[in-house]
Amino acid sequence: MSVQGTAGPGGPGRAEAEARVLGEVTEDLREVIGEEYVIDMDITMETTFSHDLEVESIEFVALADRLRERYGEAVDFVGFLATMDVDQVINMRVGEVVRFIVDSLPAPAVAGSA
Amino acid sequence: MSRLLFVVPPLTGHVNPAVGIAGELAARGHDVAVAGHARVIGELVPPELPLLALPETLGEADRADIVARSRALRGPASLKFLWEDFLLPLAAAMAPAIDAAVDEFRPDVLVIDQQAIGAALVARRRRLHWATLATTSAEFDDPYGVLAGLGQWVADLLRDFQLAQGVPAAEAAAGDLRFSDELTLVTSVRELLRNPDVPGHVAFVGSTVGRRVRTASFPWEWLDPDREAVLVSLGTVTREAGGRFLRAAAEGLLGLAARAQAVLVAPPGLVDDLAAAAPDDLFVAPFVPQVDLLPRLSAVVCHAGNNTVCESLSHGVPLVVAPVRDDQPIIGEQVVRSGAGLRIKFGRAGPTAVRAAVTSVLDTPGHREAAGRLRDAFAAAGGVAAAANRLEKLAV
Repeated sequence: MSVQGTAGPGGPGRAEAEARVLGEVTEDLREVIGEEYVIDMDITMETTFSHDLEVESIEFVALADRLRERYGEAVDFVGFLATMDVDQVINMRVGEVVRFIVDSLPAPAVAGSA
Repeated sequence: MSRLLFVVPPLTGHVNPAVGIAGELAARGHDVAVAGHARVIGELVPPELPLLALPETLGEADRADIVARSRALRGPASLKFLWEDFLLPLAAAMAPAIDAAVDEFRPDVLVIDQQAIGAALVARRRRLHWATLATTSAEFDDPYGVLAGLGQWVADLLRDFQLAQGVPAAEAAAGDLRFSDELTLVTSVRELLRNPDVPGHVAFVGSTVGRRVRTASFPWEWLDPDREAVLVSLGTVTREAGGRFLRAAAEGLLGLAARAQAVLVAPPGLVDDLAAAAPDDLFVAPFVPQVDLLPRLSAVVCHAGNNTVCESLSHGVPLVVAPVRDDQPIIGEQVVRSGAGLRIKFGRAGPTAVRAAVTSVLDTPGHREAAGRLRDAFAAAGGVAAAANRLEKLAV
C-alpha cells in the first residue's frame, strides 16, 4: 500500500489530493482511536484533534506510525508535531495534517492510491 | 532526630501520599510539619502533624471558577491551564510564605511536592536540603511523546518563572524546579515505566498510603461471598464532573449482577435510583474506605489517578481505566502496557463498553497475573518506610 505522489502545492490536482489524503488520514485515525464514536463521526478538515477527537499523546505516536507506513519517510509527521507549541497542539485541525502531507508528498502527480 | 517540613499544593491526591510519609517519620520520632492551604488540606492532615497554614490566596469564588474552567478542558489545553492559571500563580504566592515557614520551623530537609514549585524556588535559593515528592510517575515516563513542544513549553515556563523571581539565568537554566538533584521520591514502581532505568537519586517507593484521617464506614455484610465485587471511583477531583461516566458504569455493571456486585463512589442523587432498584447489586456512597475494600475486590474501574491505580495494583487488583486529563492518560497507558488492565474512553464509553471491559478483566487470567506481579513490585518498593529511610539519609 503506497502512494505514488500527487500534485504539488496549488497545482490543479490539489483539491483532489487533499480529499484523497483526508480519506486516508480519516481511516488511520479511526483505526488508531478504535472506538465506536469515531466510526460514526464525520471527520472533516475542520475537525480538531484535541476537542473533537480527544486524541491523546500516545495516540499521536500510533498515528505517526500509521502515516509512516502509508506515506514513507517523505512525510515526517513526528517532525511536524515536534515543532508545535502548546497552542498549536490545542488548536490543531485534521486539515493542517492533510495539507502538510500533501505538501510533503513528492510531485509529479500519479493518479490513484490504495 | 531531624526536622522535616513537607510542602503540599491544595490538591487532595497530592496530600495523602505526603501525609503517609510524614506520619511514618513522625512515628520514628522526627519533628515533622506540613505546610499547605488549611482550607483545602486541613481535613486530610492528622492532628499529630502540625499544619503550617499558607495564606489562602484564592477566595471560594475564585477556586470554584478555576475548578469549573478546568473541568471543561482535556489534553494540552488542560496542561496549559494547569500551569499558567493554577500552579505558577500558586507558586508566586507561596514563595514568601514558605520563606517565613522555613524561618519559623528551621527544617533540616524540605520535602516538596512536585507541583509546589514556589517551595522548590525557596529551597534552591536558600541552599537548603530538599527532596521532590512526585505523587505521579508521569514525568518519568516520557509524558509528551511525539508532542515534544509541550514538554519544552513547560520547561521554558518554569525557567521564566525563576528568572522573574530573580534567579540568575545560568542557575535557572541548570535546575528544573520539578526535580531535586538530591532526592526525588516517586509514589509508584519502576516496573510501570517504559524505560525503568532511572538515576540513583530518583527513588520509586511504591504506594505511600498511611493512616487516612477521613475513613468512611462501609456495610461489610452487604458484600456477597458468592459474587465478585467491582469498585468504580473517579477520585476526589473528577467525580463531580463524571456524572455521565458513572451512570454508564452503574448501568453496565448491573448487567453483570449475576456474577458481580458494584460499589460506586458518587455524589448523592446521581445513580441513587439505580441503587434503589437493585439494592443487592449496586452500593452507592460519596466516600468508601477504598484501602480497606481493596482486598475484597476483583476489579477497579477508575480515572487512572496515580493513587487509585497504585493502591489497586499493590493489592494485585486489575483495572479498567478511563483517563480524564493531566497525567491520567500516561498512568492509564502504564496499566495497559503492563497487562494489568484495559482502557476505555472517559468521554464516550457507554454501559456496553464498561461491561465488556470489566468482563474481560475479570475473565482473562493474564490481567490478574500482571497485577499480581506488580503487587510484588509494590511490596518490594517499600512504601512509606522506604521513603522515610531515604529522607533520613538526606537529613544527616
